[in-house]
Amino acid sequence: MIFLTVGSMLPFDRLVKSVDIAAGKGEINDTIFAQIGSTEFLPKYIDYVETLNRIEYMEVFKSSKAVISHAGIGTISIALKYRKPLLVVPRLKKYNEIVNNHQLNTANRFLNEGYILKSDDTNMISERINELSKFIPKKRTDNSYRVEKKINDYLKKILDKTDLLYK
Amino acid sequence: VNGFTINIMKHKKKNIIGIVASPGGHLTQLLQVSKAWSNYSAFYVSTHMSAIPLFKKMGKFYIIEESGRGRLFGTLKSIFTCLVIVNKERPKVIISGGSGCGTFLCLFGKLFGSKTIWLDSVANVEDISLSGRVILPFIDLFIVQWEHLTKRYKKVEYYGKVI
Repeated sequence: MIFLTVGSMLPFDRLVKSVDIAAGKGEINDTIFAQIGSTEFLPKYIDYVETLNRIEYMEVFKSSKAVISHAGIGTISIALKYRKPLLVVPRLKKYNEIVNNHQLNTANRFLNEGYILKSDDTNMISERINELSKFIPKKRTDNSYRVEKKINDYLKKILDKTDLLYK
Repeated sequence: VNGFTINIMKHKKKNIIGIVASPGGHLTQLLQVSKAWSNYSAFYVSTHMSAIPLFKKMGKFYIIEESGRGRLFGTLKSIFTCLVIVNKERPKVIISGGSGCGTFLCLFGKLFGSKTIWLDSVANVEDISLSGRVILPFIDLFIVQWEHLTKRYKKVEYYGKVI
């Protein structure tokens, strides 16, 4: 199963439609399960839900073979964490899908470093989707502990011992 | 076990830390570093129902209205709710995942004497977020996730990416 997710905030019909059409034509070599957000367009050829809560989302994410999504940083970071092959389609300002083109910038950064696949054009989507089965994402270097330590040190500096949960 | 739990409850005066992030990327990034505040009692603020099942496991939480461009009513309602939350909780520290909803919570927090921490999203590649630029003077510890941004803003700090 390939998990298609577009986030719960805004619809992303351009992506959902193109995947649905490709699935309808039989061009995709796997089944698709989609989280489509609240939208007027409803897919005909793939299984979908409107939203998943966070726990359900993680379950579907982990059990999927690969993921297709908008270039939301939440999805990208989870994909890197679990090393899932990810194809992103950035939301673009010219289609009124987002307020600015930051998803495109984000996608390009991660694409250039070999973490993800990207497709700006949804016409060729099935070819890119089928590349996912061969794509091995680069392993990330995790620096979160450094940020975590900085925040923790700062809290220790400004808070008293009496503020600790377990004294 | 019950006795132990009750003992903690008695001594627990209030939530020391307020955590705020919209669900999705901002919350995902902030929770990557959740061990940073795991020794303190915290309450959580977010903007979408999808965060509820997770928050239920973590402690007290509030779901506030989505704010942002083109959402005037939501923004006004969210500003008011943030004021109510800060006034009620009076956290010593507010940690924001860098989404719009953290702006007002940090602003009111600052006015009520909280220290404020802002983790700007890794999605902000070319510049820090609009919310971040607005709230920057009111933030005590401002962390970005792209090193080149520290050259443009003196106050921001970089320690790597959380994803």
